[in-house]
Amino acid sequence: MTELQVQQTDESSPNAEELSSWLEKVIAWGHADSLHTWKDISLHSSRLKDFLQQLLIQINNVSSTAETMKRLPLLGQFLGRLCWNPHVTAEGESRGLLFQCLWALYSEHPSNAVEREANQWIRKVLCQLATEEEDGAALALMKHLGVPSKEYHLKVLKKMVTIMQENIGNNQCSRTQGCSCGSIRAASEACVPLITCPEASPLIGALLQQPVTCFRDGLSENFLDALHSAYSRRVLPLEELAVVSLWYHSLPSLEEAVLRLLESATAAGSTPNKIEEQVTNSLLPKACAQHCSIFLVANDIFRTVLKQAERNECVKHVFQTFTKCFLRELSHLQPQTSASLKAFFPQSPPSLLLPLLTMPSEMPQEALKDHLVWVSSLIQQLAEEEEEEEEDSRNIRGHHKVFEAWLLLVQCGHWVQVAAQLLVTSGPEDCAPLLWLLTFYHHPTNRWHHRASQLVQAKAAWDHLCSLFSVAGHPRPADRLQSFISLLSAKPRQPPLAPPLALNLMVNFAVFGQLPLSTSTEMIQKVVDQSGLWDESTRVLGSLRLRLNDRGCVANDRVRLRIEELRNTMTQM
Amino acid sequence: MLNVCLPPSGKTCECGQRHMEAVLRNVASTVELLAVAAHSDVVSEWDEQTAGRAFHWARYCEHIYSRFHSNHVIRGVLEKQLQLTSRGLKEALPEYGAVTLWDLGRCQNLLLLRLLGNPALPVSLLKMLFETRRSAGVTDGDYDDVRGLCGRLVQYKSACKLLRHLPGPPALGADAEVQGEMLMERLESALSRSGDARRAEDLLSSVLQELDGAAPGLCPVIAAALLTTAGSAAQIAAQDFLLDWLQSRHGVLQRVCSGLPSRLLADLAKRHRKFRDAYCRLLKKWASEMEYGISDGEWVHAAADPSVSFQKMTHHFLTLFEACPSLRTETEDELRALKVSDGGFDVRGLSVWGDLLFALSP
Repeated sequence: MTELQVQQTDESSPNAEELSSWLEKVIAWGHADSLHTWKDISLHSSRLKDFLQQLLIQINNVSSTAETMKRLPLLGQFLGRLCWNPHVTAEGESRGLLFQCLWALYSEHPSNAVEREANQWIRKVLCQLATEEEDGAALALMKHLGVPSKEYHLKVLKKMVTIMQENIGNNQCSRTQGCSCGSIRAASEACVPLITCPEASPLIGALLQQPVTCFRDGLSENFLDALHSAYSRRVLPLEELAVVSLWYHSLPSLEEAVLRLLESATAAGSTPNKIEEQVTNSLLPKACAQHCSIFLVANDIFRTVLKQAERNECVKHVFQTFTKCFLRELSHLQPQTSASLKAFFPQSPPSLLLPLLTMPSEMPQEALKDHLVWVSSLIQQLAEEEEEEEEDSRNIRGHHKVFEAWLLLVQCGHWVQVAAQLLVTSGPEDCAPLLWLLTFYHHPTNRWHHRASQLVQAKAAWDHLCSLFSVAGHPRPADRLQSFISLLSAKPRQPPLAPPLALNLMVNFAVFGQLPLSTSTEMIQKVVDQSGLWDESTRVLGSLRLRLNDRGCVANDRVRLRIEELRNTMTQM
Repeated sequence: MLNVCLPPSGKTCECGQRHMEAVLRNVASTVELLAVAAHSDVVSEWDEQTAGRAFHWARYCEHIYSRFHSNHVIRGVLEKQLQLTSRGLKEALPEYGAVTLWDLGRCQNLLLLRLLGNPALPVSLLKMLFETRRSAGVTDGDYDDVRGLCGRLVQYKSACKLLRHLPGPPALGADAEVQGEMLMERLESALSRSGDARRAEDLLSSVLQELDGAAPGLCPVIAAALLTTAGSAAQIAAQDFLLDWLQSRHGVLQRVCSGLPSRLLADLAKRHRKFRDAYCRLLKKWASEMEYGISDGEWVHAAADPSVSFQKMTHHFLTLFEACPSLRTETEDELRALKVSDGGFDVRGLSVWGDLLFALSP
């Protein structure tokens, strides 16, 4: 804003008319002291600050105070009245700007009567502000008991905060007697200038955490906006509970928080470990577990982002981590029941909820494959149904159910990882549903009915891998590896198979297969070198490691060792 | 620094003497400093460090005051020193305003007032005093930095103004509560140190006299003082002292009971037996002063100031009974006896006691 001013000409700096209309407003504020006035003041607060900033620049640019007073004769009145408006003087930024304007008007070496008078007036105003006591009783007591002013006023402030905090929840609104509340709204409106005042923070916290009992007595919009602005500028430290309440009340705050998380988690160099840390530290999973509405909004944001970026592995991974952390927080809060799950996932196909939201660690190892086969068949069914509908009724509603199923699958991406792992040990009879699931995960939309050919490619990739990583079969056929690598690149006249799919499979084969580590490592190195998929492979290894470190996951030392070795090799490449 | 050893008898020992001399010298110097701050041009050469040192000495005086104000021996010594210094300063600066012992307790404010009123104060110091703090995470508490001192003062006062205007619970309000607490603290220390009640008596009289002139007067403060939680023996003794004082000052008691809402008075009665008895007696006294106006058909309080209506008095009784149910039967018996003494008729307007009984019946 400051830069803009410099480039503008003198005509756009505040003129006498603008000042006059602001003065009218300030006079009106001084006359009435109602909720309506407070709201008006809060609404104009940032514009006032901008105006003061402009005035300050102008005063500094003009050579002398006498000149300024000639151009803006009402300036003294304006600033003087603002000094006695507690909304302006209680808030740090506006108070600072106001005082700066006063100092800018002070002349070090007054050369005429106007400047001398201005100096005198400024000193007088400042002296009054700091030392005058309105309350005669308070002054009498302070004098006779020898109590310093600062101590007295600080005590009174703290006591007011305590009293209000205690009484906030007490105004009950009963339907029979009519609503006489409005105290919460009034209190939040009065607290707008006090948001960055540390002594008032218990009150702010209490207001935020007050459960909404009456729709007519909610927190004021100005309050929420001011909180959101202060919090995002990081000038306001809030406790965990208060932050969650802020998100609950203020949609812009919540949206900003989710987008900020997405931004930082998908930044370059984010390892799965770091991502999980960032997600947990953001407090969002906790907030989502406490308030269903917060989860729904966050989910919606992810949904929108993913609709436009199906292939974005980064975002998918963040979403999956987010859901995992959320489910963890939820399990801390309440015993999981299917009823509550529906509330959190209203758009997902109900038949898929329980199967996908169960964690693999909650099932015996032997049951995993059957479970996945079942999940795969459920989704296949949904997909077929939707395709039939589309052909029949020319339904342009889109693949809504299938999309939601895919979204849920992405959120529960650990199942996809388990599928990949199981494919290492599957035979050709039972690999089909697992491959279908994997292909679906990477290619959710069956545009131009390409899924059939993609499935073929996936099977081919799996075949290659099976033979490449089988213990028997020396020497390794070089062309096998080459054909596998060629699968990873785009081909003419054929819809490409998402490279992460094949790569994911390969990493799983390397980790869980029986081949000696050195041979596996060599092959992976060659593949990554030629296909250039270093990022993806490190991510897969990272997630694998994370998943196996999670509680309840059974993994033996051999596997862990192989992963570590592979990671070391990757980092040295 | 303030390691003055003082046995209760008030006699000082050797090191005590020397410490005392040092304290007196420092206080005298600070008083001189205050004079300089108010009247001298030297102030134009002050920088942030000088100002910081000046306020440091002012804080020192505040500390001395809070440590010794209730010790009447040291108090006397301090007062004598102040008089001495004042005389000297008056000769040098005719416009000098004397500093009393009470002023020492608010020394920083005094210094601030004088500095801000001195036209020679450089504007750089003004700016420093009124600076607005940047970080929002730091609470003030014992933050004694001179930088931003006035800014903080203005912030607290403005914040209080904002919150004061909110409709709150029908209680005394934060101001009265804090004032009451401070009064009790001072009373407590006055009683515990000196042992004799005169000091405390003087304190109460002078404070409350001052409060009397200013709105909203002394009623809220006295009520708040009596409602503070008294845990220790000293606190209980202080409240007791205040109650006795209140009982002895009949005019004040009347004002308190007519100026405050019934609920508050009932709470006080519930807390303090002495108050309950005095309150009851007063209510009955008011009833006895009532006269029946035939034209209006109402009982009217004959006394002029403060006057209370029949309805109000009845309301007082009813609220009192709610808080102290045991009082009801006792009072009703008394009233009945008084009604009998008036003839025992059941006609309205003949006996205030009879009408009162009727109004109080559930």
